[in-house]
Amino acid sequence: MARLIRTEKEVEGKYTEQWVVVEGEDEALDQWPQGPRAVVGTPARRQDGLQRARGEAEYTADLQLPGTLHAAVLRSPYAHARAKVDLTRARATGWVRGAIGPGDCHVLQEEPSFHGAPVAAVAADSLREARAGLELIDVEWEELEPLLDPEEAVKRESFVDDTRHYSRGDVEAAFAEADVVVEGEFRTQVVLHNALETHQAVCRWEGETLEVYISTQFIWGVRDSISSQLGLPPDRVRVVCNYMGGGFGAKNSPGDHTYIAIALASQTGHPVHCALTRREENLAAGNRNATSQRLRAGARSDGTLVALEGEYVNAIGWAGFNGPTYGPIEMLYACENVRTVTYGAKLNLPPNAAFRAPGFVEGTFGLECLLDELAGRLELDPLELRRRNYADKDLVDDRPFSSKNLLECYDRAEPHWARRDEVRARSEGPWQRGVGLASQIWYGGGGPPSYAWVRVGSDTRATVITAMQDIGTGTRTAMAQIAAEELGLPLERVRCELGDSARGPYASISAGSSTTPSMGPAVRAAAADAARQLLEIAAQRFHLEERVLSLRGGQIVSADGGSWPLEEITGLLEDAQILGKGARGPNPAGMRVLTFGIQVAEVAVDVETGEVVVERIAAIHDVGRVINPLGARSQVEGGIIQGIGHTLSEARLVDPVSGKVLTQTLDAYKLPTIADVPEIVTDLLDIPDEHLTNLGSKGLGEPPIVPTAAAIVNAIRDATGAEVHELPVSREAMLRALAEAREREKRGAPAAV
Amino acid sequence: MELRQPSSLAELDGADGLALAGGTDLVPLLRDGLVEAETLVDVRAVVPRGIDGGTIGAGTTLAELEVDPESPQALREACALAASPQLRSMGTIGGNLLQATRCWYWRLKYPCFLHGGSTCHARQGAHREHAIFGNEHCASAHPSDPAAALLSLGTTLRTDRRELPLADLYRLPTEDDRDVTALEPGELILELEVPKPEASTYLKAMDRTRFTFALVGVAAARFGSETKIALAGVAPIPWLLESADDLDRATPLPGTAYKVDLARALVRRALDALA
Repeated sequence: MARLIRTEKEVEGKYTEQWVVVEGEDEALDQWPQGPRAVVGTPARRQDGLQRARGEAEYTADLQLPGTLHAAVLRSPYAHARAKVDLTRARATGWVRGAIGPGDCHVLQEEPSFHGAPVAAVAADSLREARAGLELIDVEWEELEPLLDPEEAVKRESFVDDTRHYSRGDVEAAFAEADVVVEGEFRTQVVLHNALETHQAVCRWEGETLEVYISTQFIWGVRDSISSQLGLPPDRVRVVCNYMGGGFGAKNSPGDHTYIAIALASQTGHPVHCALTRREENLAAGNRNATSQRLRAGARSDGTLVALEGEYVNAIGWAGFNGPTYGPIEMLYACENVRTVTYGAKLNLPPNAAFRAPGFVEGTFGLECLLDELAGRLELDPLELRRRNYADKDLVDDRPFSSKNLLECYDRAEPHWARRDEVRARSEGPWQRGVGLASQIWYGGGGPPSYAWVRVGSDTRATVITAMQDIGTGTRTAMAQIAAEELGLPLERVRCELGDSARGPYASISAGSSTTPSMGPAVRAAAADAARQLLEIAAQRFHLEERVLSLRGGQIVSADGGSWPLEEITGLLEDAQILGKGARGPNPAGMRVLTFGIQVAEVAVDVETGEVVVERIAAIHDVGRVINPLGARSQVEGGIIQGIGHTLSEARLVDPVSGKVLTQTLDAYKLPTIADVPEIVTDLLDIPDEHLTNLGSKGLGEPPIVPTAAAIVNAIRDATGAEVHELPVSREAMLRALAEAREREKRGAPAAV
Repeated sequence: MELRQPSSLAELDGADGLALAGGTDLVPLLRDGLVEAETLVDVRAVVPRGIDGGTIGAGTTLAELEVDPESPQALREACALAASPQLRSMGTIGGNLLQATRCWYWRLKYPCFLHGGSTCHARQGAHREHAIFGNEHCASAHPSDPAAALLSLGTTLRTDRRELPLADLYRLPTEDDRDVTALEPGELILELEVPKPEASTYLKAMDRTRFTFALVGVAAARFGSETKIALAGVAPIPWLLESADDLDRATPLPGTAYKVDLARALVRRALDALA
């Protein structure tokens, strides 16, 4: 029976109350006992690995619908301008098949307010012709003064979102009583997602239905946004994404390119493909915004934090969201007195977009570096300082945690941390070595609504059907593993079909580390529903009671020791099929569901040239039950590598005069390469959260990138005494910090370590 | 666009068009509209390829040079630290000497001094990768690692028209001529004559471990009692130092001052390595 439940939904820390329909047996199922099982918890290679490697997997870019036209977008070359667009010459050609400007599509701007803002677009038979068509658009530009300085924006109250204020306790009084107060100003840069597949969509009208083939993290969100923007019933919008080449948070919504493709498809009656080039991707597809952070921490001499204060400026760009840079300082430690203010500066720069733990990556960098400086002042072991401030409940909402094994993470970090004497001793000549650590906190509980079906046929194979997307993390395989485990089938007999809103039930977003915890329990419930039906049939066939039967290793097993191949039952089905349905139940009421962890980094710093080499990172994370240890390790490694890029080499640069983006290509924007990848040790606790769903699994997409920058910078400080307060740690930043450290030493200030 | 594929120097004679060898720099420049050409001339059958003692065919790839045991260490190291294995397998040493700057203003077609305009946008703008020498009119940085190595080695070039020291290939852009090389239109580098030093080395500071252009590259080569030092990434052209003291005369921009420190450290190391 379907049940209607009022529940709280969290996505990346934003809570909303909503109604959810739950059907099936999510809550009726007991969690599996801790530890690896036949399929779940056992390493599995990606089921679609070969298709991807062979080029057989069909991405949006590969789609070749008959009659497809290609779109090219005219973008503002100015950070702020007024554009008078004249499409006459473009439309007069025979080969420009469609042309649109401001007024034809809501994303095209008459007053473009950032470099790369879309102003007009054309469609033609080939991309080359479309680009040539752009030359025939006449634009009268009136350049306007851009606002580029975040501090100036705050002064002028130019904000994207409301300024956020938070406080608990009495911060001023607590600082007055603190034995030690440390403060610092930290800065982080703009970084770009640069998913391998650029943003793109193919849009086609099929009768009254709009088909949208798109590289997206959220099929159903795209469907909702488009239907409400166009005033279409949601069922008239079909959204398809079978394979995608990454998103990292920048593909949660349809994006300008999709609306441009829709407008051109409507104008021409043809399918239209609109794909961003790499340059466009680096201009206008979202970014992790820059931040500045003024932080203050007060502690007693034993290390107990008594007050924390943070003033954050998120340099958001023209649009986007005021991300939770304040999250870690409010949530990570058991500090009674905390105050933050967070400004979201609106600037004539490209809009931000969610990027792998937005806000927390930046906020953790500031907080965890300041904590190490505090440990230095107190002459206290940094790991011990963190233990002493362990929070056993959530102080923001005064709630218990559904599960928290951070102390266990700290214990497991101990052997890695204990390597520091040996690491430091390997310092030689200009190469100074050191070890640093940083704690991690992030969301990752997922939630309803999410639905799945499991179909079992006479071939004794099962198919998971759900209209979710695999962002590239291996979701297909993980979902198949869960169903296989519940059905007692080997993994190779189970596949997952996803990626089409017309061919499966509603599924959640692949963001906020929520895919596995949102979808997994629904898949297990659906598989359990199918298993129950199989056992019902078996009970009738073998004249046994259903409750003595179970499915194991492809067999129907009875309590008295009898067993029959499952084929004996599925063989009866002929063309009939078993269909199990499952829904994700609510999260535990009144509890805070979070992920935790710690990373320990080892670095070598050349104190003469400022070169920083990350030599080893140990990552210990508590994310509940692990479904696929191989896929999970891959997520940890990917997060850390992306974190190393964020820490050392990546920076989107703009011209300080004009506000134009300078780093549009991958020679100028420096992602890490394989030569920058250190030894990475992954240690996942794999302890199911007993309060969370029938799986006890949390998400892992984002946690691994959260503490990486702080751990590396703390290791740099351990190695050299230099206090780096800005990202990236470029040669000039490192040399500057080293020079400041030498100055401090000359002045006789206490050594930093 | 037309592609011509002459099979001999005689056949090439008088042909218009832009020389194409490995294409690793030219093709992106054409694609981005920074260079325009009606005719491309594939010179791979015309330009010598291979190494014979100190004589290097201009069509020799960086990948071939980096593993050649006879070539001076500075050249091998400079080649090995350049670009990526794929690019080094395509890119030729002749083309490498002529590659265009990575200055983002120039690459994004700002009407800058190097493009014939009146100002250098980098001087007022973002310039952390830019020059500390010869940067009065144009602060771009020359990207070639092997050019600095070959400069320190005292290399001579043979073109289809003349011989000239490598140092004379390069010129700072001036009001009257914005080009950074002294080649005549259509002139083709055929061979490099590289003297054999007693010792040489190339050191490179980059933003990541591999596959990015030099912030500062330092080549040093010792011939008898004389050691020549040349730098990459510090001026619009590969830059020869008279001595390490020349670094005191650098004219860094606010955002490139660190390159002077970087160059000092690397020059000291290079000289130590050769001592």
